[in-house]
Amino acid sequence: MEDALKKNLEKLLKEEGLNGRVTDLEYLTGGASNETWKFFFSSKTEKKHMIFRRSLGESSPMAISKRDEASIQQLAFKKGAPVAKIIAIADKDSTLGDAYIMKHIEGETIARKILRDKEYSQAKKKLAYECGEAIAKIHQVPINNFKNMQVSSPKDLIHQLYLTYEGFKQPLPVFEFAFKWLEDQDFGEPIEKLVHGDFRLGNLIISKNGLEAVIDWELAHIGNPIQDLGWICVNSWRFGHSKNIVGGFGEIDDLLSGYSSVCKNNITHEQIKTWQIFGTLRWGVICLIQTFSHLYGRTNSVEKAAIGRRVSETEIDLINLIFLGGK
Amino acid sequence: MVFDRPTAFELLDSVSVFLEEKIKGELPKHLAFNVQIAINVINIVKREIENGKEINESSKKLIADILQQGNSTESLSKAIKDGKIDLDNKELQKVLLEITKMKLSVDNPNYSTYKDLVE
Repeated sequence: MEDALKKNLEKLLKEEGLNGRVTDLEYLTGGASNETWKFFFSSKTEKKHMIFRRSLGESSPMAISKRDEASIQQLAFKKGAPVAKIIAIADKDSTLGDAYIMKHIEGETIARKILRDKEYSQAKKKLAYECGEAIAKIHQVPINNFKNMQVSSPKDLIHQLYLTYEGFKQPLPVFEFAFKWLEDQDFGEPIEKLVHGDFRLGNLIISKNGLEAVIDWELAHIGNPIQDLGWICVNSWRFGHSKNIVGGFGEIDDLLSGYSSVCKNNITHEQIKTWQIFGTLRWGVICLIQTFSHLYGRTNSVEKAAIGRRVSETEIDLINLIFLGGK
Repeated sequence: MVFDRPTAFELLDSVSVFLEEKIKGELPKHLAFNVQIAINVINIVKREIENGKEINESSKKLIADILQQGNSTESLSKAIKDGKIDLDNKELQKVLLEITKMKLSVDNPNYSTYKDLVE
């Protein structure tokens, strides 16, 4: 199977004018919906590692296609956001299916390592600022490129999330409370921007010098830009380092200064917190999606089964944020 | 009790220790990660066996005390959704907090927010 994959990768690269050999194919991550491989490409003029990502059919309800993911990355790259350069996009009818190849970028993605290891202590000091900057650059991508993408107001988003939650028929009083509470909150000006949708450690390549690249664009959509700023503050993405509000490593003021250095705005801490609460609820519903895809899906996954018992983590966070004055 | 020792709890404990001490270290990274999840799952079930029944009973009582009718999470959810209880109701907030803390004591007592709230 790996030999066939190598041949198909060589074929796709050849179509881009890159005539050479693919070796050292290494499986990096994957699940039921997609997988990521690393490989070495060598031709007369080039020798380098590349990354291959492809969809495996069973896509999650919120995810966009790999081809769309790649086109969005290309546009964000043009706006100067730290993004891996796209090398080739497969034709969806080809043997590779919905897939693309991008440049390999050195660095670490495992959140717990980045937050724990001394190697990253310098990088972490300016990471919140760099994240703000990167998020702002993503928000600069002109959205007229995405005519086929759904545009959702906060109200729409909450409603969609509620329908998904309700569909699982597992009543959660804290979620009901949060949904109702969110109805009357200030989500900021109704601006529409390209939103990454899952901007947090795990989806960021970090080196000892700082933020190298933003990856995993499958939840990208058009919506309110503050969503990305609130999402990275969700406690689940602090990976136990809960005192550092931004991603387990930084402060909101630094995130906002980075953001403002690229993009003028009047975003307040309160609005970010409202989106953080929305994000916490969104993560809770994503946990439910994962759980029920294990319960009703075709493949057994202990990881997805276990995530069902992480829903209560989002419940305690919602309580802490909404009526205990938590951060 | 017709069942002999080991108890359900003790049986699960033996599996969890076996996976931790004998299996995890033998496996490649991505499988070791899944075995760690399996160990976590066993530990959830152990805690539920120990305290689940009591937690269910206390939760029902807490819910019954603030609702006119019903004692299930379903009835509490519906009362909140239909606006039968005000979100500012301090008793409601207290009940939600108490129940959620009890859930966390089984699901993940190491979770940061839970630890901060019980310590």
